[in-house]
Amino acid sequence: MRSYTKYGMAATALMMASALALSACGNTSSGSDAASATSGEVDVIAYSGIWQDQYTAAVIKPFQAKYPNIKINFASKRSSADMLSALQGQKSNPNTDVAIMDQSVSESGNKQGLFDKVDASAVANLANVPDKFRNKDGYGPVAMLDAIGVVYDTKAFPTAPASWNALWDKSTCGKVNVVAPPSLLGISLTAITSSMEGEDYTKSIDKGVDKLKQLAPCIQTFAPNPDEYQNVITGQTVIGLGQNARGQYYADQSGKKIGVAFPKEGTAYQINTINLVKGAPHSAAAKTFINYALSAEAQEAFAKALFYAPSVSNAKLPADVQARVVPTDGSLKILPLDVDFLASVRDKWTETWKRQIITKQ
Amino acid sequence: MTTTQTQERPGLRAGNTPGSLEKAKARRDRRTYTALLIPAILGLLVSFVLPLAYMIRMSFNHGEADGVIIEGFTLDSYIQPLSDPFYWKVTLDTFQMGVVVGVVCVALSYPITLFLARTTSKYKSALLAIAIAPLLTSAVVRTYGWMVILGSNGLVNSSLEALGLISAPLKLTNNMLGVQIGLVEISMPYAILAMISGFGRLNPQLEEAAGSLGASKFQIFTKVTLPLTLPGVLTGFLMVFVLSISTFITPTLLGGGSVQVLATEIYDQTTGLLNWPFAAALSVILLVLFGAVVAVYQRLTKKLGG
Repeated sequence: MRSYTKYGMAATALMMASALALSACGNTSSGSDAASATSGEVDVIAYSGIWQDQYTAAVIKPFQAKYPNIKINFASKRSSADMLSALQGQKSNPNTDVAIMDQSVSESGNKQGLFDKVDASAVANLANVPDKFRNKDGYGPVAMLDAIGVVYDTKAFPTAPASWNALWDKSTCGKVNVVAPPSLLGISLTAITSSMEGEDYTKSIDKGVDKLKQLAPCIQTFAPNPDEYQNVITGQTVIGLGQNARGQYYADQSGKKIGVAFPKEGTAYQINTINLVKGAPHSAAAKTFINYALSAEAQEAFAKALFYAPSVSNAKLPADVQARVVPTDGSLKILPLDVDFLASVRDKWTETWKRQIITKQ
Repeated sequence: MTTTQTQERPGLRAGNTPGSLEKAKARRDRRTYTALLIPAILGLLVSFVLPLAYMIRMSFNHGEADGVIIEGFTLDSYIQPLSDPFYWKVTLDTFQMGVVVGVVCVALSYPITLFLARTTSKYKSALLAIAIAPLLTSAVVRTYGWMVILGSNGLVNSSLEALGLISAPLKLTNNMLGVQIGLVEISMPYAILAMISGFGRLNPQLEEAAGSLGASKFQIFTKVTLPLTLPGVLTGFLMVFVLSISTFITPTLLGGGSVQVLATEIYDQTTGLLNWPFAAALSVILLVLFGAVVAVYQRLTKKLGG
């Protein structure tokens, strides 16, 4: 009896072991519904927080109402680099279908063979995307646009700061936030500062770095938490770097405690592309989703919800919304950022910040 | 004793000596124990050994600027941090942070632990539960709490300003001080738990004996209490040190981007710059640092024990 119990225990242990081994090897995608364009699931990877909330309400829910047999699973990440990191990890066996991420990062993904080309025959709305917002090699097109601006406390600044130099103003010393590289905000600020100092940032950023070193002792935080907008709203900082879309959204949410402005020296776009993952388990349904995301209906709804400018020519926005999204008609001075170049210097510039600028504090 | 037991057994067959029966039983036992160990071993293998091996292998690959990993065998990812003064400074700052947090945390937790170990109150268990209750809240939530308390308009600064002690807010967060304050509080329950288990050798009668022989309270503490509790103190320190140098949540949230330690550097390299080989090499360096500290700890406890 005693040995029977022992063998029973041993057998149970072996069964547990096999179950563990099986669960470790399991979780592979079935891919059975890859061919269906109107049913199955679509796994989307994109930004977290209010972006996720607003995109779900403005785009995903109406999509699911239109295609009740397609279920969207949203995996959220804090940044595009986080998304790319996740996609690299699943390269041999992808379990994501669509990725919405920053253009500079999706370019890296295109080069690494993580994405497929998006074909106009399966995504009819691609026809409404102007050439300037399409990928020259046929990969994922631009899905929405935003730009970097100055976010400010409306009490401390009754009139919006007109120049980037407001960040260097001694009166706000200690109450400035920036988002250091590798964030796109920090990369863009480096290029903008370098341009303000008369440099071509693709050749040298030395003067820009010197100017940023002067700013460093006045910076409250190089990595605002929970984010750059809450820092201003709670009074931890009064001016800083931010994105127009979120700044506009939080201006409404906070009863206009925070404002966002585009300085006269010019700014940089923050562009999100919508990408089809190579070897996507549900590629047909994923194309249906991409097509919907590029529809005027979806683009208008998201612009109204989170103030991103549409990337399709047939989207028409109400005047009050149009006034708050970033202009894409050439009326705003935009510094053309070479996405490929910035991707290649992202690590170098990050190191420069870590070694030369942040240490000046 | 053994012979008596086997003689009493009814199923003893002719030809089977008691010794061989014992051996067979031991073999069976061993097999059972081995089988019972398999799930745990497999679990360890899948969740610890394989990822560690993968990480070590990754550290020998080459990482390109845009996140491309080139498989191969190169020591680049080790040469770069080891030959660069910046990474030596990051390592030194990490180590320093661990030591400061460890010392302060143990110093603050010691009186509480001593009280909990010696109290004869009927509420002892409840008091112990209260001391470690912060563990029920996530470290992220507690760190956010510290952001609110230490911020420019936070509880500390606004109280000091209201009392007229300061005219401008002190910078208590977005720097190393803020990280250390947060880490000390977050690690205290761990320090208390680790120390209380090491205070077993503390016998109140020894203190009473020292007192009756004329030792002052201070002498009792330095000659009797402290030496007896030192192994527990060392364990508490090691626990807090290891937790602080490996955590990245608190330095990330309370450091404001200006606190650069190994854990935040690994996080940035992995998720921000996508240089996995470099991040893996930094992780191996951190692991070696852990190993060195644990080795020193073992030597010290052996000395104290002997």
